Amino acid sequence: MNAPFYKYGLFGDDISLVVAFVIGIGFGFFLERGGFGNGRKLAAQFYFNDLTVFKVMFTAIITAMIGIYYLSVIGWMDLSLVYLNPTYIVPQTIGGLLLGFGFVIGGYCPGTSCVSAATGKIDGMVYLLGIVAGIFIFGEIFPFVSNFYNSTPMGQITLSQLFDIPYGILVFAVVLMAIGGFAAAQWAEKKLGNKIVGPEL
Amino acid sequence: MNNPFSKLSMNKKLALVAFTLGLVAVFAGNPYRGNSVTLDTKELALIVDKTVDHVSPEELADWIIQGKADFKLLDLRTEKEFNEYHIPNADLVPLAELSEYPLLRNEKIILYSEGGIHSAQAWLLLRAKGYKAVYMLFGGLEEWTDKILFPKLPQNATPEQAASFEKMKEVSKYFGGSPQTDTSGQEVASTKPMPKLEMPAQAKPDAAPKKKKKEGC
Amino acid sequence: MSSTSSEIQHGPKPYWNPYLSGIGLGLVLLLSYIIMGRGLGASGAFSSLVATGVSTIAPEHAKANEFYNEYLADTTKSPLKDWLVFEVLGVFVGGFISGALAGRIKKTVEKGPRISVSGRLVYAFIGGTIMGFGAKLARGCTSGQALTGGAVLNVGSWAFMLAVFGGAYMIAYFFRRQWK
Repeated sequence: MNAPFYKYGLFGDDISLVVAFVIGIGFGFFLERGGFGNGRKLAAQFYFNDLTVFKVMFTAIITAMIGIYYLSVIGWMDLSLVYLNPTYIVPQTIGGLLLGFGFVIGGYCPGTSCVSAATGKIDGMVYLLGIVAGIFIFGEIFPFVSNFYNSTPMGQITLSQLFDIPYGILVFAVVLMAIGGFAAAQWAEKKLGNKIVGPEL
Repeated sequence: MNNPFSKLSMNKKLALVAFTLGLVAVFAGNPYRGNSVTLDTKELALIVDKTVDHVSPEELADWIIQGKADFKLLDLRTEKEFNEYHIPNADLVPLAELSEYPLLRNEKIILYSEGGIHSAQAWLLLRAKGYKAVYMLFGGLEEWTDKILFPKLPQNATPEQAASFEKMKEVSKYFGGSPQTDTSGQEVASTKPMPKLEMPAQAKPDAAPKKKKKEGC
Repeated sequence: MSSTSSEIQHGPKPYWNPYLSGIGLGLVLLLSYIIMGRGLGASGAFSSLVATGVSTIAPEHAKANEFYNEYLADTTKSPLKDWLVFEVLGVFVGGFISGALAGRIKKTVEKGPRISVSGRLVYAFIGGTIMGFGAKLARGCTSGQALTGGAVLNVGSWAFMLAVFGGAYMIAYFFRRQWK
């Protein structure tokens, strides 16, 4: 059976919702395992005290990236059927900056705030309300921002296509960058006194 | 057992594994398949043998009348021929553009051309790319014209033939054709005008919004 | 870190090794790609929620608004019958399970020592609002864009990721009172 299964018609839309639920459970599970339900731990990333956010995110990215790459190279997975979010470079960058602000001010991102709320954190729940408010505001003023929102489209494009560098080489480059980053993170944490955030008693 | 690998901490082991996989990736090649395919010749031959690779004009006409939207109908001829007449709901796709044409992997694809050669070639190409539900219109547009648009009641028809002809009359009129009831038995082939393309209103309106599945985040 | 005694460990268990959590997360993401051909996400579920809410209260206004309408366009089903909505529900459940197994379920407010609870909650709301807005502008959040898009070398996702880290580090100094 070829992957992605859904695109090959292995099951229909209704089953896909069950799949979504199960995958979500896995997602939430590992987020909480790493301590991402804790806003203090998440924010500590940006004070160089506890660089777990960087470690978890990039480990996840290179794990999935390596998996997808090799499964595609051996022909089991059809990479052309894998969804790629279209790129709109300027609004995505500005949106990213705003997201960074929201991360530090609020202490969570959408996914982690769900985990936080699920483990009883009131600040996580309030954060969720904030997200709803933010999206509502966006929706209401959408007619005014829609031009910006749709500006600078680049289509569905990978780094490999953009820089005209073979995919495999980029995989290696990202892995190197991640490993280098992890080493630097360990060094920084130690230098600043190992203030790793743990769960409060 | 002095295995240097086992002396490393877990984190370092993970880093080493990641590094190795990354390094191999440099040489492992392009993850995109592009245009090369692998063919299982025996499997394809069997399919042809069992004649499960085509649909008849009657079947297709039936599906269109019922308003079924679970298939894609592809016309492989030239633009000029397409504009003169095409089966309703068909998309024009010249053979050369077939590999770029966006096709879902879980929908039926029906191919037709004037006779059967191009649709057979397109059938092979699509099957080679791994599409499973690919079919040719049996007899192509010629058969469609003959059986659906201008069905003929043969002389000395049996009652069953007459009954099925009555049914075909309705089908033919639906597609704008004209049933031939002349009993002279003469060939009136090339003077028959092809029906104009104002097809039944229910043709395509619902097909478009149905397929728009959101996959973003 | 390892407790070899036979004492019952009270209180919450420490968090996992970040690399292991990352691998777990990465495998879930990989599985999503293998099974569905798409990655994870979070903010989209909230968009569906907001669009549903707005359309319940003011249906004409919702339909006329291009943004909401994107989530309401398929009139054959409720906008809540959406892959991301179900996935996010799973996130709640998964987070709860992990927290419960590790004794980390607790009604509390995560904050630094120098800020009050109400102050923290105000910031949480404001932060959430900014992030909700930014996530829609960027067409995704850290789960959907950074993780998911990052794994497939999506240009917009990587740019987004850099911007998130950049933006966060930029203003971290100004909010240190909240956390330290």
